[in-house]
This record gives sequence, C-alpha cells and structure tokens, in this order.
Amino acid sequence: MNPTEFGQIAVNAVLLSGILALVALGFSLVWGIMNIVNLSHGAFVVLGAYLTFFLHELVGLDPFVTIPIVMFALFLLGFGVQQVLINQVIRAPLLATFLLTFGLEILIVNLVNYFFKADLRSVTTRYTGTGMSLGPLRIPYIRLAALGISLLLVAVTAAFLKSTRQGRAIRATGMDIDAARLTGVKVAQIYALTFAIGASLAGGAGSLLSMIVPFDPNLGETYTQRAFVICVLGGLGDVGNVILGAILYAFVDVFVGARLPEMSQAFTFGVLVLLLVLRPQGIAGKKLYA
Amino acid sequence: MPERRGLRVGQWIGLAATAVLLVGLLILPKFQSQYDLLTYTRFLVLALMAQGWNLIGGYTGYAAFGNVAFFGLGAYTTGLLMLSKLQVPFFPALFCGALLAGLIAALIGLPVLRLKGHYFAIATLGVAEAFRQIADTWDSVTQGSTGIDLPVRTEGEFFYYSALAFVVLGVLVTIALRRSKIGYAWVAIRGDQDAARMLGINTTAMKVLAFAFSAMFAAIAGGLTAYQNIHVTPGDFFKIEYTLQMIIATIIGGTGTILGPVLGAGVYQLLSNYVWTRFLELHPTVLGLIIILFIIFLPRGLMPVLTGSIEVARGRRRFRLQALLANVRAHRVT
Amino acid sequence: MRLVSRLAGLFVLGLGTAPLISQTAIAADTIVFGAAISVTGKTAKEGEYTRDGYQFAIDTINQQGGIKVGDKTYKAALKYYDDESKSERTAQLVEKLVNADKVQFLLGPYASAPTATAAPIAEKYKIPMVEANGSAESIFNKGYRYSFMVLSPAKLYLRGVLDLVKSLDPNAKTVAILGENEPFSKEVAGGAAEYAKQLGLEVVYHELYPSNTQDVSSLLTNVKAKNPHILLGAGHLQDSLLVVKQSKDLGVSPRAMGFSVGPSSPEFRANLKSDGDYIFGATQWTSALKYNGDDPWKTPQAYAQAFKAKYPAYGVIPYQVAESSAAVVVYQRAIEQAGTLDPAKVRDAIAALDMMTFYGRIKFDKRGVNVYKPMAIEQLQPDGNKYTVFPIDVAEKTAIYPMAPWDRRAKR
Repeated sequence: MNPTEFGQIAVNAVLLSGILALVALGFSLVWGIMNIVNLSHGAFVVLGAYLTFFLHELVGLDPFVTIPIVMFALFLLGFGVQQVLINQVIRAPLLATFLLTFGLEILIVNLVNYFFKADLRSVTTRYTGTGMSLGPLRIPYIRLAALGISLLLVAVTAAFLKSTRQGRAIRATGMDIDAARLTGVKVAQIYALTFAIGASLAGGAGSLLSMIVPFDPNLGETYTQRAFVICVLGGLGDVGNVILGAILYAFVDVFVGARLPEMSQAFTFGVLVLLLVLRPQGIAGKKLYA
Repeated sequence: MPERRGLRVGQWIGLAATAVLLVGLLILPKFQSQYDLLTYTRFLVLALMAQGWNLIGGYTGYAAFGNVAFFGLGAYTTGLLMLSKLQVPFFPALFCGALLAGLIAALIGLPVLRLKGHYFAIATLGVAEAFRQIADTWDSVTQGSTGIDLPVRTEGEFFYYSALAFVVLGVLVTIALRRSKIGYAWVAIRGDQDAARMLGINTTAMKVLAFAFSAMFAAIAGGLTAYQNIHVTPGDFFKIEYTLQMIIATIIGGTGTILGPVLGAGVYQLLSNYVWTRFLELHPTVLGLIIILFIIFLPRGLMPVLTGSIEVARGRRRFRLQALLANVRAHRVT
Repeated sequence: MRLVSRLAGLFVLGLGTAPLISQTAIAADTIVFGAAISVTGKTAKEGEYTRDGYQFAIDTINQQGGIKVGDKTYKAALKYYDDESKSERTAQLVEKLVNADKVQFLLGPYASAPTATAAPIAEKYKIPMVEANGSAESIFNKGYRYSFMVLSPAKLYLRGVLDLVKSLDPNAKTVAILGENEPFSKEVAGGAAEYAKQLGLEVVYHELYPSNTQDVSSLLTNVKAKNPHILLGAGHLQDSLLVVKQSKDLGVSPRAMGFSVGPSSPEFRANLKSDGDYIFGATQWTSALKYNGDDPWKTPQAYAQAFKAKYPAYGVIPYQVAESSAAVVVYQRAIEQAGTLDPAKVRDAIAALDMMTFYGRIKFDKRGVNVYKPMAIEQLQPDGNKYTVFPIDVAEKTAIYPMAPWDRRAKR
C-alpha cells in the first residue's frame, strides 16, 4: 500500500470515527448505567435521519440547523419509551429487556417503512461533496463538520455527566442503585433521562448520516451492531473509552474494507468474539460508569 | 389423599389429550390443501427449532442469539451432500448435517460458553453473522450469494410427516434429557452455576452438550426447510429472523417446559398467519408489538397461564386480574 | 402434562379453522396470471414499475378482445401479492398463488434473487413462469424447463459503456469495476470484465462489496490510486448513488462512469441533482429506440404514449415497465399459438417463440434466456435530461465525453 492510499484511508477512518463515537456513546450510556443492551438504538438513528430529511425538504431548513431540533424531539421520545415500556421490565431477567428492545426496533423501523416507504433518501445541499485537499489527500467538508459536531456533543455529554447534579445522579445510580435511592434519587426518572440522552445522541448521529449516505429505514441495523462492538472494544468505563473504541473500530473497519471488502463483517465479528472470550471488559477495562 | 388422586386423574387426561392431538396431527393432511399443509409444516419446523433453543436458552439459561448459524449449516450440508457426486439421499444427508452442526457447536461452545448474559448473546450473534458471510464468500463450495438448488420434490405430505416425526422425537428426547442427570445439571446451572460447580457438576461439559443439542435440532430444521424450499442462499438461511422466531416461540410457550416450545410455535404461527392475511403491510410492526406485550405481561409464556387456568377451573384458585399485572409489578423499576 | 396438553392440542387444531385461504372470485373465462412483486421494501419502486407493466399489458390486451384459445376468447387478469422485497417471501407467495389461488400461469418477481427462489417452485408444479426482471443467468443454468427470461442477461449490461467509450476515445485503456456481492451484480461485473479484456482494455481493479454496504470509500480510495479511465458500478440504485456521492467526496474523476442499475430511475437524478451529470446507465429499453414489432403497440414510442395516457404520474417510462408488459405479450402469443391452456403445451409454445416486439426481439435459447436482444445505454446530461446514446444507430443524442472532473464543474 503506498503512502497516499494509506493516508487517505487513515483520513477516512478518522472522519468515520466521529459519528461512530456519537452512536456508541448513547448506546454505552444505556448499557453501562441500566445494563440494557438497547437493540433499538439504530432505530433512533433512523428516526433522526428521516426527521432531518423532512425538515430540510419541507421547511427548507439547513440540515445542520435541524440537529438541535431532532435531538430534542428524540430526547422526548426516548424519555417516553423508557418510562412507559422499558421501566416495566427492568428487573426481569436479561433476555426480557433484550427482546423488548428488539421488538421495539421492529416496531419503529417498520412504522417508518410503512409511512415513508423504502425509497432512498439523501439530504443534498449546495455544499454536498465539497471538500478540501491536503496534498494528495481529500477531506470532504461535510464529513469534517460531522466529526467536529460529534466531538462537541461527546464533550458536552461528558461534561454533563461529570459536573451537573443530574449527571452525577446518573453515574451514582449506575454504580450502586440502592445507595442512590437512599440519597433520594428517583431511579425511574434517572433511567428515563439516561435513555433519553442515548436516544438524543443517536438522533444527532442520524441527522449527520443523512447528509453523508443515501438511507432508507434499514439504516440503523449496522449502527447498533457497530455500537456494540465499540463498547466491547473500549469497555464501558467512561467517555474516553468510547472514543478509543470508536477510533479503533473505525480503523479496523476501513482497513479491512480496503483490502477484503467481502469479508469485512465476518472479520469484525471474528475479532469481536475473540475479544469477548479473551478480554470481555474491553481494552480499557472498566465495566461501570464511574 | 385428595392431592394425589387429582394428579393421577390429571395424568390420564394428559395422556389422552396428547393421543388425541397426535391423531389429529396425523390425519391432518387429508383435510388440508397443499398450501395450508405448508403452513403446518412451517409450524412443525419452528417447533423443532424452538425445542432445540429451549435446551440451551430455557433449561440451561444461556440465551443464545445465533442458532440460525446451525440452521443454515444444516441447510447447506444437507444440500451440498445431496448435490454432490455421491448424491447422498435426503435423510442420511440430514443426519450428517445434524452431526456436523453438533460438532461445530461444541467447538465454538467451548470458548463462547464461558461468557455470560449479554456478552454470550452477542457473541453467538456474531457467530451467526460470520457464518453468513463465509457462506456468501466461499464461492467454490457454497456458490456464494447465487445459492444452490436442491433436487425438486413435490409432495407436501412428505415434508409434513418428516417434520412431525422429528417434533415427536424432539419431545421424547427433551423428556429423556430432562429426567436424566444432564437435565438436572442444566437446571442447576441456570439456578446458580457456581454452586452447581461446587457440587461436582462439570458445568462446561453440560453447557456444551446443551449447545450442541440445540445446534442439531436447528440443523435438522434447516435441512428440512432447504429441501422444501429448494433454493438455498446465505441471505435467506442465515437471517436473524429464524433465531428470533425460535426464541419468541419458546418464550410464548414457556421456557424450560417440555411442550412449551411446541405450543409457542403453534401460537406464533397462528398469530403470524393471521396478521399476514389481515395486516400484510404492517405485519412486522404487529409482530414487534406482540413481542413487546408478551415480554411485559407474560414473560414466562403461556404455560403458567394454562396451568393457572386449570387451577381456576378446578376451583382451587380464584381468578384475579391482578395476576396478569403481577409480572409487571414484579419486574418494574421502583 | 395434564390438561395442559389438551389445551395445547385444541390450540393446534384450532389452526385448521383459521381463515387462511383468500378466495378470489375467478370468472369462468379468465386466465389468471400470478406474481409475487415487491411493492414495499427495498425494491419497492421497481416493484411498482413491474406491477404497472403487467397490469397495463393485461388491460390493453383485454381492451383489444382478450386472449384467443382455439375458438374461445378469454380475458386476462393479474393476481399479485407483495413480497416486501424479501426473497423468502417470494417463495411462500408463489406457493400460495399456485396452491391456494390456483393461478394458471406465473409472471416473475422483481430482481434476480427472488426470481431464483421462484423458479424452482414453478418447476416443482410444472407451471410456466415468464420473468421480466431477473437477469442473472445462474437461474437458468440449473436446467429448469419452465422458466423464461424476457430481458437481456446480466453479462450484457455494461458492454455498451465500454463500446461507447472505445468508439469515442481510442486512447481509453483502463477500467475499474465495483460490484455488489449478489448474483445479478456479480454477473454484470464479471461480464463487463470479460468484455473489457476482449476489447483490449486493462481491468485495473475489480472488487465486490457486501450488499447493503453503507460505505465504499475504502474501495474508492483504491480506485483513485489506480486512476482508471472508466469506472463501472454493478449494483442497485442505492449503491450506485453511494458510489457517485463518495466519488465526489474523494475526488475520483474518471473519464466515464457507468452503472448497471440506477441512472435509468428518476430517483437517481432526484437524489443526486447535478452530481448525476455525465453518468451512463445501462437500460433494457427506452422509448427512443426504433423497434417495430408485432404486438398491441408496435413501436416504443407508441407504447410510451399509451402507457402515459393510462398512468399520467409517470415521467419517463422506466424499462422495468416495458419489459414486464413484454412478458405478458409473450404469454398472449404463446397461448394463442398453443391453442390450449395446458401448462406443458404453453411452455413448449413459449420455448418456440421468435418475435419482434416494441421491446425488441424475443427468442429464448435452450436454457430459456433471451440472448437475442441487445442492451442500450443512456446518459444523464447537464441540461437535466436523460438521453439514449447507444446503440449509436438508434441513439437520440451523442454522448458527452469525457466526464467533467468534480472540482471543475459549474455549480448549479
């Protein structure tokens, strides 16, 4: 592989890791705090993408402007879903929440499919496809902006978790639910808040994705899978781990994609299984949000 | 003593009912069109898969999320053997598929069964995905995404009776396993694995055995479906829907019970067909909704409901609506 | 076990009473054609085209009197179900059509994978299936006698692009090929590679990507490094869109870009807007071609006009519509020639056909494949329209070559 090819692939990987980190963060939060592997995470990504698309098409808003709107809407939706559905089965055996979120995924994706059909959509603006050239390397502007926004959102979330009262309550609940309850934390609400944040981040990622790839209701599946792999890679410890996992995953994905595109998924899963067997707590090593 | 007398009567009724059921299933084809027979066959194949899943997911408590890997493995092995120069006949090919699946499951199970909970589930999911991609890219053996076509066989009755025979076999095998030391070991592992180990149970061997058995059931189901559908592709035979169907069927019927998987498969097939004819476009949506409702209100499946209603019918218990909500109350966050 | 078993048994026997069969009131003098079509799901748009093509032909034939069988005239009818773009559904639905609905003949689904699932079932029940939207030859290499492919097979799809470029630019030497890893696209890619070599071009890159991929930037990065003159994509609408978008992102500017599926759909232009300029697309048929056939419409122009009159929502008529109508025309001719509705005899009549139609020549080789009709090529041009540019003798406009590099295009 010559240096230029290597360079471009590295650039692609870095740009990809931003969105992956965003998707994985929401997922890891829900998993770390509530011990729920949210199989419907990808569905929220899809909702975010469609919402941005329709706001752009019907109201004419610039897609970047729609991001806060989308995130807020999905925050509300996520809060509702947790309160009404998932909170009912939190203390049931693991399989229950697993299947519940799976049922939710089918429900959401198929409703989207029913109302909006499976036509491919993309958000195309005047500046789609523009980019800058660093020597022989090419950096598309939209992907660069997506990277920037993703990192911003990740940083904001990290700050929220560390410094605000609600954020600390979330972490406390994740560490020791009984102690948290004793100090007056309303666990049901905290759970709903956590899930809402997760959904919101997923929605933001969806908005960004709508500008980068042509999408249909099935956009989300691969992102849930990738979020899982990233969480396993990085461990559930803290935000830094998620970013680490995302970068690692992005590099592996892009490099394998360049050399062996047909085997990329098998390879990824092979690595995943190996990792799970050898070191399930991930590379960084912590299991809780602390 | 009244208790014991009740049980004996109950057992007679149970046996008689099973006999009626079996006769009913045996003469069924005479009264159904070819197309409806297909539906029944599909129900039986699903029952077979669910029975297998019940062994690892129900009795042993390890929720495997990738058993479709063995379904597809069985399909391809059966198909490729039948299409090979040896032109292996169907049933021997099917058994080879089952054996191979069991072996591979054992090999994979050794490392993977050391994981627990979510990690185990996703690891098995990964295995299924990896199998699919291998089938997709190993062109020289599997013809890749183009797929293979098994010899054409028309009589629906052949498939129906084969599936029925296997389901009955499955019930007998489940009973035998459940009553043996293996079955008790499984339940012990589900309850408290460390304690089981301390009692001298070789938990690794038992878990691997459960996984291997579940793989064999899935492989036979895969081989039957392959022969019936004729055209086998990686995308169709390694899709996650099959795993979900077998899990949902077992949950609906009741995990860790003998007839639960069969009952659940029946209910699921009924629901699926009903939804398909009435709400064709919303079919997956409604199924998703059904999953959600069952998980919230009836996570232990229908078996306890049936047993409970029997108690009510025999005047031993009063019917309380709250019973339905009891599940929710037990599991919701407070 | 106890009473539980009894209740379980009742449940299962209850299945027998579940209303599963949908009754269709089939009038006595109607020939029913059955099809499983993807009107929802991934290939929903193309599925709609297929259905409309079938229905339009059937309606036209009925208007003109119907199908003559001996001295009796029958009306034609279409009975279809939605397979949601899922090939295992297709199989299930075809079984339903044959067994429960008792259709007399089968029309194909949309895309090769579902067609591959349906063909063995047609074979199983010995009912002919004329398919118009599945061009993978692999379906026909299994010796099935009851399936027939009206359209040109996959390997011919991208030949026109290569021929065209070679004729406009004898200095074009290198070709890069990207393909989706599924039966149809593999054949398209393979056929293109083979033909390129025949023409003396060098294939510098030939890779398959997984179906439903969301990112081909790694492959395009490799392509960029090889700097090919021609970039060919063998996939479906979604991947073609992705390749164009990411080519722009990465600055991959070959002299010509062509896709097997995508450019001929209105969605392609709608999604890409001006980024779609200069791109070539393979097509089975356009209304600009100059065929003159022996069927209800005779010429492509007449067909397009008549279709538009009935379905005014359509802009340009996609080829899927035309080839689906052609399939129905095949049945009309074959049934009239056989003089009977007996499936085996109709099957033989189809195999013996050799007719010119508004769609092109229809004749099937021993396997049932129509190798006698060439593929055409269209180009999206900067004036916003799409023109037939190949075969050159029936083209409506000259191709614009080479493609303007991405960074040197005027913003529209």
